[in-house]
Amino acid sequence: MESFVTTFDTVVDEALFWLSDHAAFIFDGIRVILEGLYDGILWLLMLPPFWAMAIIAGLIGWRALGLGFGIGGAVALVACAAMGLWPETMQTLALVIAASVIALAISLPLGVLAGLMPRLDRALTPALDLIQTLPPYIYLLPAIALLGFGPATALVATVIVAMPPAIRLTALGIRQTPNEFLELGQAVGASRAQMFFKIRLPFAVPSIMAGINQSLMMAFGMVVIAGIVGSGGLGETIYGAIRTLDIATSINASIAIVVLTMLLDRLTQAAARKS
Amino acid sequence: MAARLLANKNNRVDMESNEVLIDCQSVWKVFGERSAEAIRSIAERGLTKREILKEYNCVVGVSDATLQVLRGEIFCIMGLSGSGKSTLIRLLNRLIEPSLGKVLVKGRDIATMDAATLRETRARHIGMVFQSVALLPQRTVLENAAFGLEVQGVPRDERNRAAEAALAKVGLSDWKSRFPRELSGGMQQRVGLARALTSDPEIILMDEPFSALDPLIRRQLQDEFRQLTKDLGKSAVFITHDLDEAIRIGDRIAIMKDGVIIQEGTAEQIVMNPADQYVADFVAGISRLHLVKAHSVMVPVDQWRRQSPGLSLDGLPHCSPEADIDMLIGKITGTGSDAIAIADGGGIVGVVTTRSLLLGVRGEPEVRAAA
Repeated sequence: MESFVTTFDTVVDEALFWLSDHAAFIFDGIRVILEGLYDGILWLLMLPPFWAMAIIAGLIGWRALGLGFGIGGAVALVACAAMGLWPETMQTLALVIAASVIALAISLPLGVLAGLMPRLDRALTPALDLIQTLPPYIYLLPAIALLGFGPATALVATVIVAMPPAIRLTALGIRQTPNEFLELGQAVGASRAQMFFKIRLPFAVPSIMAGINQSLMMAFGMVVIAGIVGSGGLGETIYGAIRTLDIATSINASIAIVVLTMLLDRLTQAAARKS
Repeated sequence: MAARLLANKNNRVDMESNEVLIDCQSVWKVFGERSAEAIRSIAERGLTKREILKEYNCVVGVSDATLQVLRGEIFCIMGLSGSGKSTLIRLLNRLIEPSLGKVLVKGRDIATMDAATLRETRARHIGMVFQSVALLPQRTVLENAAFGLEVQGVPRDERNRAAEAALAKVGLSDWKSRFPRELSGGMQQRVGLARALTSDPEIILMDEPFSALDPLIRRQLQDEFRQLTKDLGKSAVFITHDLDEAIRIGDRIAIMKDGVIIQEGTAEQIVMNPADQYVADFVAGISRLHLVKAHSVMVPVDQWRRQSPGLSLDGLPHCSPEADIDMLIGKITGTGSDAIAIADGGGIVGVVTTRSLLLGVRGEPEVRAAA
């Protein structure tokens, strides 16, 4: 038994080494693309000064959720800057946005397919269960072996963690079209595409939006954990503060994370309700 | 109300032609994992519903249903829940595939149609209205009414015009930019009807459309539906669990029980000659006043002469064979005569006596009571 385990471990290790030796160009390419995406988003976010971003966020919050939320959001962002954490806050936001964009680009179509094809759904379920039960920092290890230290590794691990809720809730939304509407579609002679876009999809939108919101929240959690691998942002600030027992800084960074999370959560929930 | 109902009943004879729009020939539907085997043994050994359940653990939804829907008629299928009526109506537009038998729509077998032809047939020839209405909640009333044409790829202006016209017919023009949730149940069902009418199909399948509505609204919609269908010259298959509704609406009625059509005929035929005790129990509480006509309660002239020697036909008031019991009672109480001569095309075809009239009110034809 023990020898089997040792052999298995050796095979996994060797496979990783082999991949990093022989397929380095692939992973270097992936790394360049991921870091490019992250840098691009971060550059955009850092373009306006912090007070302009606070005003923009305040205006959006006002329109979506009312004056109180708008003012509160803007003040909270200004507070992040006042704590000297503005670049880190924006780095974290850039990581979350980049990871969510990739995660949703994969999980929304996959969720739709799973909703339409029960077999695919049955095949995906155990994989999603596995992803969601393992401790999330597990995904950092293979990523760090192949992509090295930095935001690219953080992004890959975050994408993996963020995908399951969006896949599940999209599939659920597509599957739960009330039967009478499916009959209606058939009775008026709808084609398969019309059936999907005119009947199934509109009924699935609330569930899909809930999935997007959940994915964003998972991404936030993971991006902070990914501070260990040098992701940059508030996660790394907290990780550094833990190592030096700098409690004040870790509390500041935690507040900034809460501010960002609440802003994005409430805004995406409002968007979900509107649809 | 009574006068209007009477007017409605009178256009029963309006079926201009005898063109068969839906021809349902010995259709079976068997549900269950071993339905294929069950069907084979029905075809080969003629097993009954109970035997099928026992041997194959399959449920027979519809058993050997044969019916024809003619152009311009409203055909009601009446049955309690579990009688197979909802399955039967879904077999007519192939929302459910028949296990055995044929359904011809305008002479074409829908079971052999390819997907495109089937879609086309459903889109253009058979509209459907559901008990649950199934209005798309994210669309306005107008967009819902135009949905059938939208699916057919009709340009927006054109389909909106057709939808507005259909909404006007059901009296909902003012509500077109509202959302379904803002409408009452009765109004929602009107939108459902308008949606079916917008595509201008020849046949409308009505799957218990008014069952969920309160009685007053329901009656109103029944009358409106019948009038509208007749005015537009549409044919309809109307499913209901309510015999009163079937009688109010239907030109012909089929009564279903356990997947079998146990009787088919006009309301008068069913009330006067129930096929079995089940139907008899059903019709027991139905008022005959406007349903039973003179030709069903009259006695032949010879018999009348034998029963009432010395009386002459000449002194009797006259009525047509289509006069209903309500009118006959009015005639007898109004004129003081004990009998009414029934005249058809110049000749006297029979006599309604007080006795035959009373029997008729109870739903018993004079001939059967005498025998």
